[in-house]
Amino acid sequence: MNTLAVTRSPADIRSAPPARVAGFRTKVLLAMMLVVSAVTGLALYFAQRNLAESVQRDLEREFLSELEALHQVRAIRQSALNERGGALVRKSRIHAALEDDAQDRLYPSAVDELRDIMQRRDPAADPAADALHARFFRFLDRKGAVIPLDPPEGRVAEVATRLTPAEVQQLVLPSAPESQQIGFLEYSSPAFGSALAEVIAMPIRSTESGEVMGGLALGFKPFEFGGRRHSGIWLNGRLHSTSLTAGVARAVEGVMSAAWNATQAEVPQRIEVGGVSFLMFARQLNPGSQFPLAYEVCVFPLNDLIARQRQLRWQVVGAGAFLLLVGLAASHFASVRLSAPVEKLAIDSERSARFSADASHQLKTPVTVLRAGLEELLTRDHLTPEECDQVSALIHQTYRLSSLIEDLLLLSRMDAGRLKLDAAPVNLTQLIEASVDDLSAMPDELHLQVETGFPAGLSILGEKRYTAMILQNLLENARKYNRRGGRIRVTARREGGKALLSVGNTGRPIGPAAQAHIFERFHRGAIGENVPGYGLGLNLARELARLHQGDLRLVVSAEDWTEFEVSFPLAGEGAPA
Amino acid sequence: MGSVRTLLAVVAAAWILPALTAATIEGRVTLPKARATPVVNQRYYVVANAGVLSTNPPLAVVYLEGRFPRPVTPPVAEMTQKDLTFLPSLLPVQVNTRVSFPNLDDTYHNIFSFSPPKRFDLGRYLADERPAPSVLFDTPGLVTLRCDIHEHMRALILVLDTPHFVITAPDGAFRLPAVPAGRFVLKAWIDSKTTRETPVELKDDATLRVDFP
Repeated sequence: MNTLAVTRSPADIRSAPPARVAGFRTKVLLAMMLVVSAVTGLALYFAQRNLAESVQRDLEREFLSELEALHQVRAIRQSALNERGGALVRKSRIHAALEDDAQDRLYPSAVDELRDIMQRRDPAADPAADALHARFFRFLDRKGAVIPLDPPEGRVAEVATRLTPAEVQQLVLPSAPESQQIGFLEYSSPAFGSALAEVIAMPIRSTESGEVMGGLALGFKPFEFGGRRHSGIWLNGRLHSTSLTAGVARAVEGVMSAAWNATQAEVPQRIEVGGVSFLMFARQLNPGSQFPLAYEVCVFPLNDLIARQRQLRWQVVGAGAFLLLVGLAASHFASVRLSAPVEKLAIDSERSARFSADASHQLKTPVTVLRAGLEELLTRDHLTPEECDQVSALIHQTYRLSSLIEDLLLLSRMDAGRLKLDAAPVNLTQLIEASVDDLSAMPDELHLQVETGFPAGLSILGEKRYTAMILQNLLENARKYNRRGGRIRVTARREGGKALLSVGNTGRPIGPAAQAHIFERFHRGAIGENVPGYGLGLNLARELARLHQGDLRLVVSAEDWTEFEVSFPLAGEGAPA
Repeated sequence: MGSVRTLLAVVAAAWILPALTAATIEGRVTLPKARATPVVNQRYYVVANAGVLSTNPPLAVVYLEGRFPRPVTPPVAEMTQKDLTFLPSLLPVQVNTRVSFPNLDDTYHNIFSFSPPKRFDLGRYLADERPAPSVLFDTPGLVTLRCDIHEHMRALILVLDTPHFVITAPDGAFRLPAVPAGRFVLKAWIDSKTTRETPVELKDDATLRVDFP
């Protein structure tokens, strides 16, 4: 039989790694890809979220700074108006009319004094001056009531026509203003066509005593912002706006109606109208005023933001895909690098196991042939008794050689992980009895005494021939390393869910230094110099015990007593006791 | 000083006309305390407090109310504007007196009044305005004068239907000479809302002592 035909060369093994080695590499690659994908995904998620938030924050900041700038413009305008109003209320004629019991002179004088600040009926003629020109005015008395134009004729008549009685009523304050008051008036004028007027009411103080004698309320066109936003004024539970669409206005009204205090109203809100997002800012226009509180509401469309976020998302996805590709390539490379030593180890192990198996197999044949030849030689008649003894000794050696080869074959199969136990309940009691019988049947030059002690029907889980091999090895050693007239004791017991089998013998103890090496392959102690063997028995026995999910250990090796103990799993609850 | 001269002339005329049968009233008006605060500017000789106009330091005008013949020729008086104030800041005049308002400053003034007894507006004028703008005060009462340009300027003209009046000294002391004998009411104007009065019976060549508490 040509055994080489079925043997793969080491080169074959290297070029085509075994399936489980390839599986290992795939598993490493998959795990790394999983990790890379997860890390990339997480990183992208957070990056995208942070970027989106930062873009939104930037935009909000931009809106707010724009609003802030415009509010400053508003403040400057108010300050200018206040300055003008302040100059007006210091006018002697107005003071004279109020102080000198001449209210009939109040409005006629004011028409003269306010001539510069009043807006003409045709605002289109000078739109630039529109912001700083008043559309109407009224005086307030000490109690905050509006001083009537009585009678509204002559030059005063025109002043009277600029406000309806209902609008005049909105100017009434609880008391004459002690400081400048900003208010808003629901106002509809055919001449100016605005739905709201901004009112600045300022105190008129006595020049001497400083006490408030009354007030002057001037009405202006509300300050309007330009730019990207649309705005309106929230007053008395209604939104006044010409720039907001009906849908947006409804959404804003909803938010403002729901807000129950100033702080809440001024938190930027995001509103959705017809699938379009808007950012809404509200700011109180007249904090602390005696007039009803008014809020300016600005609405910024977020189309830009959404477009920027979408663009950003695509960029992030693109970058992520690229990163993922790089990561996967890197993980492939890394998995190859990482699995290379493992593969090498596996291939080496495979190769050495196969070598061992092949070598064992190829050794068995010539030994068999050799033994057959020797046995043939022994049958010849012309051999002298000495020659017969020598041939017999040679035949005995071939048996030893066969046994050694068998052991090596078994070990190599175990090393390669190819030995699988066909586990079944094994009656350890019977096995011990049989082995002790075999031992007793052997020619005994040492006059050994065998003692046993084991429960009947002790059953373990294992494969009988390997269990027997463990027991035979231990008994063989106990016999070989015994002294003349010594004892062998074989005991078994159940303990902690296991069956413990002990084999002890008399004889020279194993030295402490040697104890560490007795389970190594081809190790033979100093005491075994005259004992036949190759130092494979204990190693084989322990490997087999471990294959049984048990173990083999040296329990004691003291003066004239050495004992090994092997543990086996019990065959289970159902096993016979 | 012109106004003082005018006053003396009026008083002298009133004294000479009833020949030597004139009485004299003297006494003291208890004046309110001078207000150091809250006047913003001490140049304001006329101040308002809760709508009450008075001079500061306080002065009173003591006058004899009764039926007296009106002068044939209208008396004249003068109130100048000097250093952005009126001088004097309180001027009692007999009804039908023409008061002229010469501007002695280098700037424009615009004297006006919204007071019911006399509403007028002299418009803007400078010191070289000739003749100096004047107003005939033909209704008794208190007239508050202001300048439209200089908001702080304030003065009072007390138009009285009697030729017999005098401004008290800062301590409230007064002397009203050459008044006719008879039964009259003597009044002391203290501020725009306070006028005290007491009936008096005057005898020829006698000096009556009247104190207003």
